[in-house]
Amino acid sequence: MSDTNTPQMVKVREKKTIFLHWFNATCWLLLLLSGFGMISGDFVRLAPAFWPEFMQGLFNGNDNLVWVHAIVGLAWVAVFVLFVLLNFKSVVWPFLKNVLVLTPMAALRDTWSMVVTLAHLFGIMKNTQVPPQGRYNGAQRLLGTMIIFCSLLLAASGAYLFFGPMVFSFADDALCGAIFRWALVAHAASVFLVLVGLVAHIYFAVVEERESLEAMKSGNISVDFIKHHNELWYDELKREGKV
Amino acid sequence: MVAKYVMLADTVRCIDCKACVISCRAEWETPMGYSRDWVKQVEFIKANGMPEVMLFPGRCQHCDEAPCIEACPSGAAYKREDGMVLQDDAICSGCELCVPACPYDARWLNPKTNTISKCTFCQPRVDKGLEPACVQTCVGRALIFGNINDPNSEVSRLLAEKEWVKLTTDEVNIGPNHYYYTAGEAIPAEVMPKLHDRHLAGKVMENVVNPAGVIGVGGMVLAFLGAGVMKLIGRRNEVGTHENQEGK
Repeated sequence: MSDTNTPQMVKVREKKTIFLHWFNATCWLLLLLSGFGMISGDFVRLAPAFWPEFMQGLFNGNDNLVWVHAIVGLAWVAVFVLFVLLNFKSVVWPFLKNVLVLTPMAALRDTWSMVVTLAHLFGIMKNTQVPPQGRYNGAQRLLGTMIIFCSLLLAASGAYLFFGPMVFSFADDALCGAIFRWALVAHAASVFLVLVGLVAHIYFAVVEERESLEAMKSGNISVDFIKHHNELWYDELKREGKV
Repeated sequence: MVAKYVMLADTVRCIDCKACVISCRAEWETPMGYSRDWVKQVEFIKANGMPEVMLFPGRCQHCDEAPCIEACPSGAAYKREDGMVLQDDAICSGCELCVPACPYDARWLNPKTNTISKCTFCQPRVDKGLEPACVQTCVGRALIFGNINDPNSEVSRLLAEKEWVKLTTDEVNIGPNHYYYTAGEAIPAEVMPKLHDRHLAGKVMENVVNPAGVIGVGGMVLAFLGAGVMKLIGRRNEVGTHENQEGK
């Protein structure tokens, strides 16, 4: 912790990025609530039977609920596409370079950091240090990579699930129907994968690292926090003269 | 009491004139080569060496535990309180997950609408107080439709009068609401329901994605709840130790 009363703060995030994060979170919440309500049959439904019944009753039929889900989903995709197009060089590309785990070595390194971090949480491996981390730690990088790929799959499969039956004749080409069925599987599987990671993401933000949650509102974070959690990033900021 | 509709098929009275099929196709304007009902001919040699033909008019059996409804992801397949298994065209995407689920092969993808078609017991006609088209057209009165919950209905009377059977096996017994009269003849295997199956995608969803999702998300929630509780206990102990030290 800082030895002064007012810790030195550094701006690490712009307003538009903060907006995108909370817009994404709101869309996810709405899409989860509506999506879990849309899938009805006992063999395939994702939530207990009362939820589809409640949601479809609330929206006066599943066709209305499907429309709500599709509109929110399309808005989610549209805002992301717009954001990427307008901020590719300034925000998106640097983010991708920092967060994407693309090589087996990087995956191993990040998995090790994540294991140690999680072990510390449960009071084990206390004598093992978490290796120095960059702007995003191992767990964040793995989660971020998974969310990026799952989001692409969700957008593609979601678009096919909504537009596929309008555009293609499933009766004429059996493959179109088969793609629809597998798109449904891919859509549900991606949601579950993201949810698994999201539990940890929310826990760390709300319970363990409140300062990082504050940084997702204000865009500023204390230099001490960076120094403590993201040593490699701190060195980088120092080299750039930002701290 | 709410009505519960059933269909009776007296195979002894059926002459395979296919008037039921024609009227159904006319009523529902089904495309060439497709029909919501059918008459199945089964030929066999009897124990006394004589050949015999049995006729089984068939359609959706409007099962009490309809697997098509359980396999339908959008809720397009549903059961009305009066027992009719119906199909909502407005939300059916034509994904065909329900098609192999039906042990009676009563569902098919309509190439004109790209949605699933099936017998609905002519629900719009029944709601107007009319009989299903096939029943009204049946020249031999082999098909009888009505409310089984009305003790004075023709179906109730006939069910009490004669011995009717349903197309069920030990493996497939999902409460069909279609009865057959065969004058004591055993039902041939050809018309018995097949073990209902599902598309691989449906099975993966049911047996892999959903359980793995529940275990994964549930496990994470439990693990992090545990971590939260441990943190709380740790903090309490820390505060306790601190206060003890201050007290000294």
